[in-house]
Amino acid sequence: MFLPVSPTAGPLERLWHVVFSGLCLAIFAFLILPLVIVVPLSFNAEAYFTFTREMLSLSPEAFSLRWYRELFTNPQWAAAFRNSLFVAVGATLIATTLGTVAALGLAKLKPALRASVMILLLSPMIIPIVIVAAALYFFFTAIGLAQTLTGLILAHAMLGAPFVVTTVLATLSGFDWNLVRAAASLGAGPVHTFRKVTLPAIAPGVISGGLFAFITSLDEVVVVMFLASVDQRTVPRQMWSGIREQLSPTILAAATLLIVASFLLLLFAEMIRRRNEAARASTYKD
Amino acid sequence: MSAPLSAAQMAGASPVAMPADIERAARRVERRQTFSAAMLVLPLIVLIAFAFLIPVGLLLFKSIDNPVVAEGLPETLIALQSWSPADGLPSDAAYLGLKRDIEKAKANGSLGVIGARLNQDTPGARSLLQATGRKLDAVTDADPRQAFITIDKRWGEPEIFGAIRNAGDRYTFNYYLNALDLTRNTAGDIIAKPEGQRLHINLFIRTVWVSALTAFVCFLLAYPIAYLLAHLPARRANLLMIVVLLPFWTSILVRITSWIALLQKQGVVNDALASLGVIGEAGRLALIYNMTGTIIVGTHILLPFFVLPLYSVMKTVNPNLVRAATSLGASPFTAFRRVYFPLTVPGIFAGSSLVFILCTGYFITPALVGGQNGQLISNIIAYHMQQSLNWGLAAALSTLLLVMIGIVYFLYTRLVRDQR
Amino acid sequence: MTSLVSLRGIQKTYDGKQLVVKNLDLEVSEGEFLTLLGPSGSGKTTVLMMLAGFETPTTGEIVIAGQHMTRLPPQKRGIGMVFQNYALFPNMSVAENLAFPLEVRKLPAAELRDRVEKSLAMVRLTPFADRRPSQLSGGQQQRVALARALIFEPRLVLMDEPLGALDKNLREQMQYEIKQIHARLGVTVVYVTHDQSEALTMSDRVAVFNDGIIQQICPPKELYERPGNSFVAGFIGENNRLQGVVRKIIDDDCLVEIAPGVTVRARKVGVHATAEPTTLSIRPERVKISPQAGEVDTVIAGEVESVLYHGDHIRAHLRGLGPTPFVVKLPNTNGAAATLVAGASVSIGWASRDCLALDLMEA
Repeated sequence: MFLPVSPTAGPLERLWHVVFSGLCLAIFAFLILPLVIVVPLSFNAEAYFTFTREMLSLSPEAFSLRWYRELFTNPQWAAAFRNSLFVAVGATLIATTLGTVAALGLAKLKPALRASVMILLLSPMIIPIVIVAAALYFFFTAIGLAQTLTGLILAHAMLGAPFVVTTVLATLSGFDWNLVRAAASLGAGPVHTFRKVTLPAIAPGVISGGLFAFITSLDEVVVVMFLASVDQRTVPRQMWSGIREQLSPTILAAATLLIVASFLLLLFAEMIRRRNEAARASTYKD
Repeated sequence: MSAPLSAAQMAGASPVAMPADIERAARRVERRQTFSAAMLVLPLIVLIAFAFLIPVGLLLFKSIDNPVVAEGLPETLIALQSWSPADGLPSDAAYLGLKRDIEKAKANGSLGVIGARLNQDTPGARSLLQATGRKLDAVTDADPRQAFITIDKRWGEPEIFGAIRNAGDRYTFNYYLNALDLTRNTAGDIIAKPEGQRLHINLFIRTVWVSALTAFVCFLLAYPIAYLLAHLPARRANLLMIVVLLPFWTSILVRITSWIALLQKQGVVNDALASLGVIGEAGRLALIYNMTGTIIVGTHILLPFFVLPLYSVMKTVNPNLVRAATSLGASPFTAFRRVYFPLTVPGIFAGSSLVFILCTGYFITPALVGGQNGQLISNIIAYHMQQSLNWGLAAALSTLLLVMIGIVYFLYTRLVRDQR
Repeated sequence: MTSLVSLRGIQKTYDGKQLVVKNLDLEVSEGEFLTLLGPSGSGKTTVLMMLAGFETPTTGEIVIAGQHMTRLPPQKRGIGMVFQNYALFPNMSVAENLAFPLEVRKLPAAELRDRVEKSLAMVRLTPFADRRPSQLSGGQQQRVALARALIFEPRLVLMDEPLGALDKNLREQMQYEIKQIHARLGVTVVYVTHDQSEALTMSDRVAVFNDGIIQQICPPKELYERPGNSFVAGFIGENNRLQGVVRKIIDDDCLVEIAPGVTVRARKVGVHATAEPTTLSIRPERVKISPQAGEVDTVIAGEVESVLYHGDHIRAHLRGLGPTPFVVKLPNTNGAAATLVAGASVSIGWASRDCLALDLMEA
């Protein structure tokens, strides 16, 4: 993982190279270790948040699936997983559809107009989430959407859609609009052209935008805190209570499951991105 | 078949005076294209308006909206119109108006809400109003003032009427005064709150300070790894990119859980240090549930937001520029300082303003690991929303926070423009 | 020859301020190969896009085979088009790309397969039917694009710089193939390019565009031999330009004074009266060095500035004739360059039919 050092480098440069490599290693460790450490801790046989002496000596009795059993048998957690999945899927479908269609429209707007519409569409990304959640609480209470899963889905769709817009727009920036013209010149109508030509070309952007929207909803806790009733709690909301009220290793087990899930989603997104890049780069060179 | 044009014909055709109908026709085509593109964007705009713009707009409106007292005690307010606290106690008309207002409020059940609103400015006003409501029969037209004072001696102080009048404006800036740690004295002048009560300004300052510090730490950590990622062969860079992206894709609550496991008093880091003998059992470090925790965890969460824009800027720097600098005699360090680094400054601006803006709105991290002194402005907004139920103040603080973010964003766009 | 395409009074502006195409009238005959040639921004591609239906003319109308097309969407026009960079669908195989227009037209499966096979055979790509476009070479992609534009048997095919992305050898081969297919199928082709040699070798007629106006439209030979104005003379091939004033008009010729006391005889093309300023255009290969008496009409003296060796020919730059060097091009035969040494004084000459008096061109 290190940069090659030039054979002509002087001693000072070689020293710096070693220091730099060590520094990078430390920063990567800072990024990844906190996630890795949770995994073994979640198999703790004791109700501790740290490695017991027995765990460090790798004695088999120190490890157990106790907290996973707890997680799967507790009806609150089961409901939380169900709610999270339901809300995330609903929000992703809405965000992906509206975001993709909007990106197609944005790509055709004149740059000046597009820039101002983009500021409007992307503003949910930078407005503090507390303000959004408080605002939604008042408005949705007034119109009867508070404490409904519909309200949560709409709110999460709004938070996820900007990601879809940006990723699809990015894919569209490399899109050859002549393909659409070619399809029209060959006799295809707009709907057929979209299904057969445009959608396959922007699919990587749509999918990775959708994954982003999904993960955004799965991760969201503040809006849930303001909008959801007790039996509408999602996994992050349940973890929030766990951290606030009784710190039990059950949340370590839940965290491990979420890490595995996000790792798989990330690999999937990377795979799509690379396949897309490879398809673009493999144009035959004579 | 040949059809050459003469010079005279060309001269007539070349500098075209655009006829009005052609200009109109071109406009019409353009409008049609813009319209069909806008129709595609419309559904999302409707969603954003419905679930974002309208709610946030209404929330911000609450920061000046002040209907409770104006609608709850109308007769009292009319009688107090030309009165000022300096005049001493108000006229009997005011007391009689107050009596009728309280009776009406009791009948429609709004007395508690009015009391709660007055309580925000004058602690104890809520119970005063409730108690008065119970004994209202004692008040007669003969001497209402004395009757009120008999019920509670506080009705004999001009301050309570001053408070009613201050709270009685239909629209008010009082929430903003409160949010900026200002208040009105009984004469109605704006003055600073006493030293001990100035918590909002301090919170704003702390939020800016924590955000700036986090942005700076993120810069220090992001620069080396963005550089590494931008200069490694694609295959290895992609692998390392996953390491950067994984925290990005992992739930914030998962990451906070991990950090608690690592940093708490009985956590992994303290255990390791203690067993290595670096610290004693009594000297375990307080790494979390304070400002340190907010900054460590905040840096971890926001670091990818700095790495990604910086990386994409570094990718666009032509490697031949550094080669050119060294071939012109610059040492690698000079080439970095004079050529490479200045070219990556736009990435630094983008990363630091992104991290700064996201950090000013941070809520989850300080709420869970910030302890007492690591709370930020978002947390106090949530407190006023959920616990003290002073929604006007929460709305005023929200508006101020948005203004602050707007200013940072504006400065960022100016900086970017000046760079070009 | 009947007219297949008529463009009448076409004007086009994108921004309502500047006309990209100015008052265009154009007829294309059935079976013709017409090339629109011009520098970038001259309006030639806009004309093609209006024909295809991707742009609407601001004013004027388009009639193809007697049918008004001006407001018809592209998918209903039935015009084949070959795009710059081919626009092959990357998510479909070669065969699927070819089948696309037939599927859209709901052809029966058997006939569709048959036509795709024939089409693949025509462009010699049968073994590549299942490849993705990205797995083909540039020339192969070009042939797929061509086959795809022809497979639904359109009467009119538009080509937008189709060979622009190919290297020189491949380009010449493809020019030949396109010409062959055109001759065999008898389809009408409107071809856009900025490469003049491509235009000259392939076309029945060439329309030279500049500044949104057709400067000249005629067969290639006439374009080179009899350019209608100084823009065309400068744009097609090389020419030497001399500024002068018309002194006398004699039938189809005129006498032009190019320096005090120096008068030359030239073909009258863009001038009408005496005292008119004019640009004389002389092709470098029509200039003779040290001409024999009677071989040429005009003889002038010059001084050799430099001599460049080009293999099959030799170029000499002469001083003393106008502000820019006067170029002479000689075939490289034995002894041709003997008198051409830098600094030598030579006499040069040309026939008056090779010297055209055109409109004045601002430097």
